[in-house]
Amino acid sequence: MEISPDTWIIAEWRGLRLNATIVFTWVVMAVLVLGSWAITARLSGGETVSRWQVMLEVVVGTIRDQIAEIGTRGPDRYLPFIGTLFLFIAAANILAVVPGYQPPTGSLSTTAALAICVLIAVPLFTIAQRGLTGYLRGFLRPSPLMLPFNIIAELSRTLALAVRLYGNVMSGTVIVGILISVAPFFFPVLMQLLGLLTGVIQAYIFAVLAMVYIASASRAGRPRGDDTTDDTDRTTETGE
Amino acid sequence: MQLDWLTVAAQIVNFLVLIWLLQRFLYTPITRAMAQRESRIESRMAEAREAREEARQKAEALDEERAELEADRDAQMRKAREEAEELRQRLEAEAREEVEKERAAWQEKLEVERAEALQDIRTRMSRQVLKVTRQVLGELADADLADRLARVFVERLSALDDEARTRLQQAAADMSAPATVESAVELPAPVRARITRAIHETVAEDIEVSYRENADLVLGLRLGLGDQTVEWSAARHLDRVESAMAEALEAARAEAGTP
Repeated sequence: MEISPDTWIIAEWRGLRLNATIVFTWVVMAVLVLGSWAITARLSGGETVSRWQVMLEVVVGTIRDQIAEIGTRGPDRYLPFIGTLFLFIAAANILAVVPGYQPPTGSLSTTAALAICVLIAVPLFTIAQRGLTGYLRGFLRPSPLMLPFNIIAELSRTLALAVRLYGNVMSGTVIVGILISVAPFFFPVLMQLLGLLTGVIQAYIFAVLAMVYIASASRAGRPRGDDTTDDTDRTTETGE
Repeated sequence: MQLDWLTVAAQIVNFLVLIWLLQRFLYTPITRAMAQRESRIESRMAEAREAREEARQKAEALDEERAELEADRDAQMRKAREEAEELRQRLEAEAREEVEKERAAWQEKLEVERAEALQDIRTRMSRQVLKVTRQVLGELADADLADRLARVFVERLSALDDEARTRLQQAAADMSAPATVESAVELPAPVRARITRAIHETVAEDIEVSYRENADLVLGLRLGLGDQTVEWSAARHLDRVESAMAEALEAARAEAGTP
């Protein structure tokens, strides 16, 4: 039994192996991009809106609301990154209902890649908002003694993100595999349904945690008063 | 659990490409469409608010106008009612006055007619009484009565006061015509002689006396001497009664005239 789609080699060319993780990632990307393109090609800014457009608007609007709720001003700045995290992980997990498909999120390589993206995105967003010195000063809070612990925390939470997603998705696949060998009927179906649920929840958790890291890094090292204003800003934004 | 670094690198690239693609095909168009619709809805709402405000103002203006019209109508109604009431009162007063006048005129006429009728009746009655009296007295008159009448006449003549006697004497002296004695019945000669003698004694010695009959006297005698007369007759009494009666009737009528 293959635990990771990384080991499933689909094509090999001059020593470069194209494994299932990359192929299924492309599939997910194709589904997302083609679906979006098909819908947004006929967008309407008027009162009559197609159902598909409504669906996309609901999805995008919800993501924006969630970002705003976590507490940063200008959710549109984080929307592409956080939204793509959520949509990619959710789509990758939901497509698991298709026979023969292996979710790329079940590969540690994929989750590690996403976690590294978060690891890089956090300082980028923070520097963009507060400047390089502001970002670096954040590591000295609350006291310079905490510098090593702050660096460890930065790295460890990236690891935790990667392993959490990988473990959840991979375990789902593994449990289904085990159950099929023990009880071939019904149980695997139930577990697949459960897998859909956990897959969406994991997507949500991953995206929200990434946003929380970004938000906390952007907010860290700022005076308390700023924090409060930020909170009120958030309330007004969610209020809208 | 294995980590293929090549795959990791490929997935990072894949993820970045996906971000770019979705940004291109999903987030930008969708957020733009949402913003468009929101601004459109906002403008529609603003329009609706404006329209509502306008409608409210119009409704207020109309309300005001209607209130004015109603007030105007009420005022006109009140005025018309007052005028009608005034007219009614005036007409009523006029009618009452008219009726009152007519009634007064009618009553006056009635009163006059009644008084006239009463007067008529009284006049007739008194005439009748007098007529009967005259008839009775006329029937009673005869020679004996004449004698007695002459005696009474003579007494009256001799009983005249000095002034009346002087007037008679003067009248006798002024005129040459004889004195005239009228009687209701023919007087016998001795009676005539006695009367003549009395005249001679009272008025003048040499005066002539002529005798004549006059049924109008009813009963009694009348001595005419120029414009002076001495009379004692039932007619005179009756005339006096009649004039007294007329006076009484007049008083009664005056009394009836002022109810």
